[in-house]
Amino acid sequence: MSIRIVRFWAVTLMVSIFNLSLCHTAAATVIGTGEAMSSVARAEHLSAVEAVLARADVQTVLEAHGVTTDDAMARVAALSDEELIALQQEFDQMPAGGISLLAVLGITFVVLMVLELTGVINIFNKF
Amino acid sequence: MFIRALWPALLTLITGCAGPALLQQSWPPGTSDSIELTSTPFYPQQDYECGPAALATVLSAALQENGTAVVPDALVAEVYVPDRKGSLQPEIVAAARKRGLVVYPVRPALEDLVAQLAAGQPVLVLQNLGLKSLPVWHYAVVIGADETAEDVVLRSGTVRRRVESSGDFMRRWSLAGRWGIVTLQPGVLPANPDWPVYLRAVADLEASGASQGAGRAYEAALASDPGLAAARFGLANVRYAAGQLEQASSLYASLAGDPEFSVAALNNLANIRIDQGCLEHADAALDRAQARAGVASSLAAALSSTRERLIRAMNGVGPAPPGHCTALHP
Repeated sequence: MSIRIVRFWAVTLMVSIFNLSLCHTAAATVIGTGEAMSSVARAEHLSAVEAVLARADVQTVLEAHGVTTDDAMARVAALSDEELIALQQEFDQMPAGGISLLAVLGITFVVLMVLELTGVINIFNKF
Repeated sequence: MFIRALWPALLTLITGCAGPALLQQSWPPGTSDSIELTSTPFYPQQDYECGPAALATVLSAALQENGTAVVPDALVAEVYVPDRKGSLQPEIVAAARKRGLVVYPVRPALEDLVAQLAAGQPVLVLQNLGLKSLPVWHYAVVIGADETAEDVVLRSGTVRRRVESSGDFMRRWSLAGRWGIVTLQPGVLPANPDWPVYLRAVADLEASGASQGAGRAYEAALASDPGLAAARFGLANVRYAAGQLEQASSLYASLAGDPEFSVAALNNLANIRIDQGCLEHADAALDRAQARAGVASSLAAALSSTRERLIRAMNGVGPAPPGHCTALHP
């Protein structure tokens, strides 16, 4: 898909979500539980507009890392504000639990074997 | 670097010591000296998918009573990031919440982990099986611990019953920031709950749309400690969303003097009064909220929207029929 088509869909999607959230905001005179808790804890709370932008950001990152568009959309919809912020700011530094043995092959393999045999680490048998 | 990494092993060889008595020190009093949640299901991991496998394990354990099982394959599309060949913590939490469960992060201490096991809850943990500078991240589920043997039992990867010494376990858990969660049916409380943390988890569940479940969780918290203002406020919001206006308003009214939740409670109470057409009551509640809030309050925007809504209502309708509002809370 060319960049232009991707951009077209991204903008269309953002505008439509944005409109939805504006309608929602207009009626939001009731304070939600999470919002009240955040005001007590002085924690970060995303405005409706910020949340839309953060969702779009994280969705883009997920897609760039091999998640399908449909899945990425459903996944960002399930995230809380705090989780969105964490993924938006720390995606690349975040530990991805999954044991990527291929990534530690080569020279490190030898190092790991030594450590493994001496019992310092334990990654090769039965994980 | 190698010498430093090898040091614990050398130390063990030299001293012949079995390691410190970590579990013995952190064992909750009155608990039998060995716990193992043997009925916890097991899903062997495929490829890099220890996230979905470990998550399926705790979800199936929590949903067992409902006769629901969650298989790892169903979770891959929700938590696996192909290019990172693994799963990220926030998405693990979100996927569990999506199934109507309260996701409670345990305190970063062995003592709390054992307490959760003793309460019957398996704990999903992140481990670093490698080194600090060469991390090998892995999700596993702690299902047991033995005080005298000083070991921890896990459902891990392709191993149904993996036993790690408490020292090994603590090193691998600590290198991963001692992150762990329990996934609880609404109404089931964690052992020794850290209330702000627990209630935040319930609020996240409420925001995800599982309002009824969140209501049960708030009720359970209040049954355990009636003084929890956050739980009272959350329950009021659940009742309001369900259209139970009188229950909601008496809960809000009970928070009118609360140092932390009064502003939000009075604001929402004012909204109920507008719904009911009792605009003078709404005005009074909103005045009290604004007097308590101060200008810099992060809730100021919501208060002024409520004020606008009230003004529109006042311009739009005549006075409420006499008697309709007299029995209400102020």
